[in-house]
Amino acid sequence: MSGGVDSSVAAALLVRDGYDVVGVTMKLFDDGNELPDRPCCSLDSTSDARRVCERLGVPHYVLNMVDHFSRDVITDFVAEYARGRTPIPCVRCNTFTKFSDLVAKADGIDAPLVATGHYARVMDGALHRGADDNKDQTYFLWGINRSVLPRLLLPVGNMTKVETRAIARELGFARVADKPESQEICFVPDGDYVKILRRELPADAPALSRGAIVTLTGEVIGEHDGFAQFTIGQRRGLPGGSAEPLFVVALRPDTRDVVVGPREALLGFGVVATEINWLVADAPHVGSEVQVRVRHRAPLVGARVTRLAGSEIELALDAPISAIAPGQSLVLYNGTRVLGGGFIESSRSATITRA
Amino acid sequence: MTAPIYLDHAASTPVRQEVLDAMAPFFDMRFGNASSTHRWGRESRAALDDARDRIAACLGAHPDEVCLTSGGTEGDNLAILGAWRALRGAGRIAVATSVIEHKAVLAAMHHCAAEGASERMIPVDATGIVSLSHAREMIAPDTALASVMWVSNEIGTIQPIQALAEHAKSVGALFHTDAVQAFGKVEVDARKTPFDYLCISGHKFGAPKGSGAMFIRRGTPLEPLFFGGSQDRGRRPGTENVAFAVGLATACELTLSAHVREHARLTALRDRLQAAIVAAIPDAVVHGRDAQRAAHILNISIPGTDSESLLIALDLQGIACSGGSACQSGSVMPSHVISALGVPSTIAAGAIRMSVGSLTTDAAIDRVAELFPKLALRARGHAAA
Repeated sequence: MSGGVDSSVAAALLVRDGYDVVGVTMKLFDDGNELPDRPCCSLDSTSDARRVCERLGVPHYVLNMVDHFSRDVITDFVAEYARGRTPIPCVRCNTFTKFSDLVAKADGIDAPLVATGHYARVMDGALHRGADDNKDQTYFLWGINRSVLPRLLLPVGNMTKVETRAIARELGFARVADKPESQEICFVPDGDYVKILRRELPADAPALSRGAIVTLTGEVIGEHDGFAQFTIGQRRGLPGGSAEPLFVVALRPDTRDVVVGPREALLGFGVVATEINWLVADAPHVGSEVQVRVRHRAPLVGARVTRLAGSEIELALDAPISAIAPGQSLVLYNGTRVLGGGFIESSRSATITRA
Repeated sequence: MTAPIYLDHAASTPVRQEVLDAMAPFFDMRFGNASSTHRWGRESRAALDDARDRIAACLGAHPDEVCLTSGGTEGDNLAILGAWRALRGAGRIAVATSVIEHKAVLAAMHHCAAEGASERMIPVDATGIVSLSHAREMIAPDTALASVMWVSNEIGTIQPIQALAEHAKSVGALFHTDAVQAFGKVEVDARKTPFDYLCISGHKFGAPKGSGAMFIRRGTPLEPLFFGGSQDRGRRPGTENVAFAVGLATACELTLSAHVREHARLTALRDRLQAAIVAAIPDAVVHGRDAQRAAHILNISIPGTDSESLLIALDLQGIACSGGSACQSGSVMPSHVISALGVPSTIAAGAIRMSVGSLTTDAAIDRVAELFPKLALRARGHAAA
């Protein structure tokens, strides 16, 4: 329970339905006293979760998961930026912290089920997108162990955010009902992730060192203060003055180059992902037609599996997608059903003909 | 669920009925301000003087050596910062304390260091007893103040306060002891042991939270923390809480009058619980078992468990224990005290403190002796990697 509206309403709905509920808040990092009130994970949010449990008449505990979260999520977050990629820590938190470590804690108290406030649904042992297309969070859930699915309860997955907020108000959860959405990464104060990198990486780390901004043809058009400050598709921080707008199209950690190009250069016609995890028994095979998503809330795009090798997958996209960023998630769907996903390794800039 | 079992008397205790009764008039018609000169004031002043006399008698002190406080944290801060600030100009540059102190002492000592003191941390041996040989080196003629707790709040070990206080005196250093867990459990007598400051906290033995006292030996310097009126000889300005003073005095007397009987009863309960757990889980680690311990505290690590999960499992069965020290958010951090014993971090992370007291019955111990091993073994089976 983050202290936010979704997990608060989830807990309330379970209590209403007669479940024996134990509320827990995961303490994931040491926030000291420097963080202002944030949508989740702060001291204020923890006490909001506690107050909700007090109102519901269920016990509330704070679980100290700082060490595991640091090891499984923050360390990887930093390493990914150092490799010139754009990490997605929420996926690793769900995979390792919430739906592995927390499930083990549930086992320790003989709790057969684990509930969260995610907008997603579990039906017949399969994970499905949430009823609210605008809120669906399956983009972050593809990595969890399939065996956990039968133990999941996702009480707000059938609702829209508007309905969730309405229930919170009905229940008298005034403080949480109208909290702003948590858009940022919970352990990154003010969205300034570079501050975290400066704290965790050596001062002379290549990712934070000066490098060249080069065009696709190799022309140097400027300098930057570290490629970790850039992500694929970004415009901010690039020199102006060119005839058409420039975007970051690639990061090259070995030379510290930030490569820029026109909008068309961002288009990906195929995508390669690794660390594939399947949530279904009937996993796709080469030739399978699926739908994919390469960023949160993006529209689904049709795709065909062109290669499957070990934990790696390659797909040809029915329509090109702009700014496919290595390190982000590739999630495969069949309708509302989540088939699985992986971490994006690269995109293909020309139509793939191999099959 | 069957009746819940409270095994956390080292955290707090219920206010005794006699204490409530003794305090009641001072919330009612005897509400006067003890500094007022009229009848209402005089009545309060008389009650306050009487309470101070009785608390002093319980500590082997003169009444003017008793300063009333809001509890352990205030007393520790007042004694430590008050002694350091009074002495720092006089060439004594160091402060010394043990690594197993309560955070009220450690944080106050760190504050002295921030104000320029050289801070020395006295180690403990594997049994949880402060090393006298280190203490004799660290408490030296350059030392303003040393502070060592009498009974460890986490593992119950009884520290060699007599020897430490005598050593401090011999080098001219002031000596403070946090006796929050010691009062009523071991003999605390200012006539026998030459400490200069000593703190007790009422809610550990049947008085309300927010009541407490600091002993300060006659002639000992003290810089106050608060400034205002002249209450408590200027040591602790602010309108006196007469009701709590009366409550504290009553609880002190009741505690001491029952000390011998309670000591035997609590020792038997604690030892029986310890034996039952160790019999069921032979690799359980009893912290401080090779040292002299106060009767009420049992601290056990079950290898392969983390205390957080086990505490939740126990609580859900109605058994209240504690582990480590709670941080502000309420999550459990590995204990600095258990870590200081030199045990592996995996053992430190599993420490559970059970503390018996006025509410503990034979039947309660039977039930915990049966349930604890079951829950611990289950937690061990499900420990996260």
